Formats: sequence, structure tokens, C-alpha cells
Amino acid sequence: MQPTSELAGSVLKARTFGSMGTVISLTVPARALGTAAVPGTAGGGERELDAAAAAVERVFARADETFSLYRPDSEASRLARGELSLRAASAGMRDRYADALSWRLMTEGAFSPERPDGVLDLSGIIKGYAIGQAGAALRSRGITDWCLNAGGDVLVMGSPVPGSGAAWAAGVVDPLDRSALLSAYGLGGPGTRWALATSGSAERGDHIWTAGSRGVEFAQVSVAAADIVTADVLATAIVAGGTAMLHRATDGWDIDVLVVRRTGELLATPGFRA
Amino acid sequence: MRTRAAVSAALASAGILIAGWQSGVHIADSSSAVASAATGTAGSTGMGTGTGTGTDDSTASSGSSGAGTTGAAGASAKAVGTYAGSVVQTRFGSVQVQITVQAGKITDVTALQLTDAERKSVQISNRAAPLLRDEVLQSQSADVQTISGATVTSDAYLNSLQAALDAANL
Repeated sequence: MQPTSELAGSVLKARTFGSMGTVISLTVPARALGTAAVPGTAGGGERELDAAAAAVERVFARADETFSLYRPDSEASRLARGELSLRAASAGMRDRYADALSWRLMTEGAFSPERPDGVLDLSGIIKGYAIGQAGAALRSRGITDWCLNAGGDVLVMGSPVPGSGAAWAAGVVDPLDRSALLSAYGLGGPGTRWALATSGSAERGDHIWTAGSRGVEFAQVSVAAADIVTADVLATAIVAGGTAMLHRATDGWDIDVLVVRRTGELLATPGFRA
Repeated sequence: MRTRAAVSAALASAGILIAGWQSGVHIADSSSAVASAATGTAGSTGMGTGTGTGTDDSTASSGSSGAGTTGAAGASAKAVGTYAGSVVQTRFGSVQVQITVQAGKITDVTALQLTDAERKSVQISNRAAPLLRDEVLQSQSADVQTISGATVTSDAYLNSLQAALDAANL
């Protein structure tokens, strides 16, 4: 874990915008941006960052238009109202639905694309999917060092100090004191985990439905994985499925997990151990 | 019609019996395979000590030591004893497994050796275990580049740690 203060000579530049009811932040080392590091031509790097952020924003806007249930005109809302059948839905909608169903199988029902009232709600998988797509858009623009944060779910590539191999340091919020960090985790760099997602039982939205009638065991679950959809879905599934799902997840996937129980006690895989 | 139903019921029962018999055979095969695998490591080099401390119920051999007697024990359905496997490299470090066999069945599997590169004993699985707050990786918000937390709404973002980081990098 390399603190920012020791990231010699590396300046990070960030852009933020709102989408899907949350805030998305793109952070890039200035050195990774074309001419930004050359004195007197800083404007070029800023423009490159603006263009990259715009590309990311387009990805999220497209996902939001199609999949958001709070937009009455979205394809998801028309499906929910029964005006559209899945068979007549777009290929993207059907693909995400298929993904969500396969996650439901793999998590033995702890993750589900259907609300208890039967309405199809893919929001549990769409944000992770959009983050992954945005990452692909950044790579296709030739940007190889970046950190993308969408409402607390993080995907990185490269390093905050281009070429150094240093990991991006991601803090995990303490659910009992949201102004403090509970822990930290090194993403990317020498490791093979580029994604970190956190789910909470008190979180916004309704896409976590607990399996069974008993109360939620975990206040917050963070999962580090190679890809953001796996991290996001498993974090959601572990909050919903409790201890049994936690063990299934750590046995079945190459992940690190940090759990905060409702009582405040912690459970962690070795990767989170100091 | 009744006859036909009876015949198909009989056939179905036979099918179940055969399936059960086959799976029984399969279990017997696999247990002896495991036992002989343990035997096979007796002569291996390195950490794989492959010691069979098995005492054979059958009169065929007194479990003195060495591969031969272990093999006899493994092959016998009455075998009782503990057998150590070879040292295998895994992503958790070196692992050596010990099995306990009773009446030809594996009744227990334990890890004899489990070390990381520094030869320290390590947790065998990647399971999440209870930790104290000062036992997890610590960091100050000044030392991280991004923050993971349960979904922050646009409103809540204003007062979040992530917002402070973003503002510093704008």
C-alpha cells in the first residue's frame, strides 16, 4: 500500500459526473495523459481527460436510459409494466437478463434479478456491467492508467504512478463512521484484482433481498475480484445470503472479502489481513 | 396396461439398483486409489515423508514401516491407519495432507504441513475469518486514491470521502 504522499512527482487528475442516481469519478495520473506532463502544454492533457470522461459518461448514460426503473420511458420500465415482452426486448436487455440468471444459479439464489414482487430489476448487475464497459472505452482510447469509481464500486487499470507497478490504494469506508476508513486494499499493480465493490444492508435502492425471512447478518460486504461484475454481484449476494453465501463465495471464486457484521465485528480473507 | 406398468416399475428399480451398485464400486475404487496414491509418495524425495503408520487389521502384514506394508493396508478393505501424502505446491504455499482410513474408508483428512514462502504456517483456505479492527490493512484517507463503500447517492456524495479526493484532484 503506497500512500499518495509518497507517489513522487505523480499528480492525479479527476473528473466527476452524475449518472444512475450516483456520482462517477474518473481519476488518471497526469503523466498518463499525452502532453500533460510537458510544461506549457498542460491544456492538451486536460482536453484528453475531458474527452475520456465524456466517453465514460456516454457509457453510463446509455445504460441508464435502457435499464433504469426510475425512468418511466426506459426499456426496463416498459418491461416491468408488461408493455414489452423479453422476447421483444433488445439484445442488450436479454443478454444482461441471461447474465443475471446465471449469477442467480451460481449464487444459489442469493443474487436475483427479480424483486419479491416479481418485477425484473437488473440494477444489481447493470452498474458493474457499465463500469466494465467504461473501462473498455478507456482502454480503447489508449489510456492504460486509470481508476474509475461509480458510487463506491471501483475498477482500475495500471498504476497511479505510470510504469512504477504501484497499486492503486482503495480505502474501504467504515459503515459505523462513514467519515473514516475501515481498511484499505491495493488494486492492480502487481496483483490480479482490479475491482473492488462494497454493498451494505442499508444501502440505497432495493436490489438486495435477503434469502429467507431472518434479518440481515452483515452491515457491509466488500469484495475484491479480477472483474467488477463478479465483485459487485458477490458483494450483493453475500449481504443477502449471509454466512453460508460468504463461504460459498470464498470457496468458489478467487476473491478477497471484508465483512462487517451487524455487531461491528469483522470477517476477512487473508488478503485483507495487515 | 397393469402388466406394462409393473414391468416398467421393475425395470426402474433394477436401474436404481444398478446405479447404486456402480456408485458403490466407484467409491471403493476411489478410496483404494487415494490410499495407493499416499503409498506412492513414500519413496518420494523432499518433504514428502509418506509415512504410513497404519496397522493392518488383516493378518497379512504387521505394519512395520515402508511403502510395501502401507500398500497392503491401502488395498485391504479392513485397513486402519493414517497415511501422509506428498508435499504439493498450491497458491497457499506447501501443503501435505494426512488421511485416516478406517475399514477402507477415509474418515479424516488433515493438513500436516502448510507453509508460505517464509515457512510460516498459514490458513489453508481463503475463508473469511474473524479479525480485530487493527488486524486488517489500515490506511488513512490521505493515503488512498479512491474509496469503496456501499452505494453513495448523489446527495450523500457531497459529504463523502470520495468527494474530497475528487475535489483535491480536479
